[in-house]
Amino acid sequence: MDDESTLDDPGEALRLIEHEQVNVIRHVTPDPRLMYWPWGLTWLISFGLSFLRYGPDGRALVALPEWVPLTSLTALMIAAGIFTGVAGARSGRHISGPSSRQGVMYGISWSAGFSGLAILFGRVSDSIPDSLQALLWGGGMVTLVGALYMAGGAIWSAWDMFVLGAWISVVNAAGVLWGPGWHALVVSVAGGGGLLAAGLIGWMRRR
Amino acid sequence: MTSVNNELPELDPVIHAQARLRVVAALSQLSRGDRIAFPRLQEILRMTAGNLSVHLRKLEDAGYVEVTKTHRGRTPATLVHLTARGRLAFDDYVSTLRTLIDPGEGT
Repeated sequence: MDDESTLDDPGEALRLIEHEQVNVIRHVTPDPRLMYWPWGLTWLISFGLSFLRYGPDGRALVALPEWVPLTSLTALMIAAGIFTGVAGARSGRHISGPSSRQGVMYGISWSAGFSGLAILFGRVSDSIPDSLQALLWGGGMVTLVGALYMAGGAIWSAWDMFVLGAWISVVNAAGVLWGPGWHALVVSVAGGGGLLAAGLIGWMRRR
Repeated sequence: MTSVNNELPELDPVIHAQARLRVVAALSQLSRGDRIAFPRLQEILRMTAGNLSVHLRKLEDAGYVEVTKTHRGRTPATLVHLTARGRLAFDDYVSTLRTLIDPGEGT
């Protein structure tokens, strides 16, 4: 029984502490790949489809049915939202207190933001020219995502998350200024790519 | 079996046992005020329930952890958290270790 065994080497004790702390963090925080990759793929695929269908200057680069881009965006967003919600909740299971309340409040902020924008855009859709519809929906939703990631960085003092949010915000604003079609391309490649990179970097850091 | 080692007289004997050091180090990573369920802590630390209970009791006796029994719906749950005193003791322990490694550093 090594129940009361001690470490006589202080360096070894420090290493044990560090090892145990890293181990706990790995258990109680979600794998960054699970949190970012579903969104990265969602953006890459659905904004990619949007670019192909509603290309710059209203050209359809590929003659997809009109409903494809928005339907794929909606379906993939719901899937990614459920997936990351479950993955996030799983890592915090059986831990109660301020941090789980923080997580729940943050999750609700996302839902509130998305719902609010969907209601607003749905309400004004009829008076907006078709050529700007995709820009309005895409640009509006991505603005929200960028801001919420930056806020998440502030909540958890997570510099990576803040940088990701800032990157998304910049990419999005540049895309909006560039115009319809181009916005979808930029968000698909740079935004989706940024999310995939964030998942990879976060995962490599915690290994 | 070694008792508290004479070469390291300043180290807090409650934390200095390897098993309890692991428990305290793990709990120190949770946010202040968060409580973790006993089975989850056991899973993270890879300790048997009996072993973990014994060490938690010693830490509780020292006032370093607080163990609360509660109910989640109908199932009873045991929640564990590091007290402010435990957090302080752990910080002191770590800085003592650093001082032992490099006497010029720490307090």
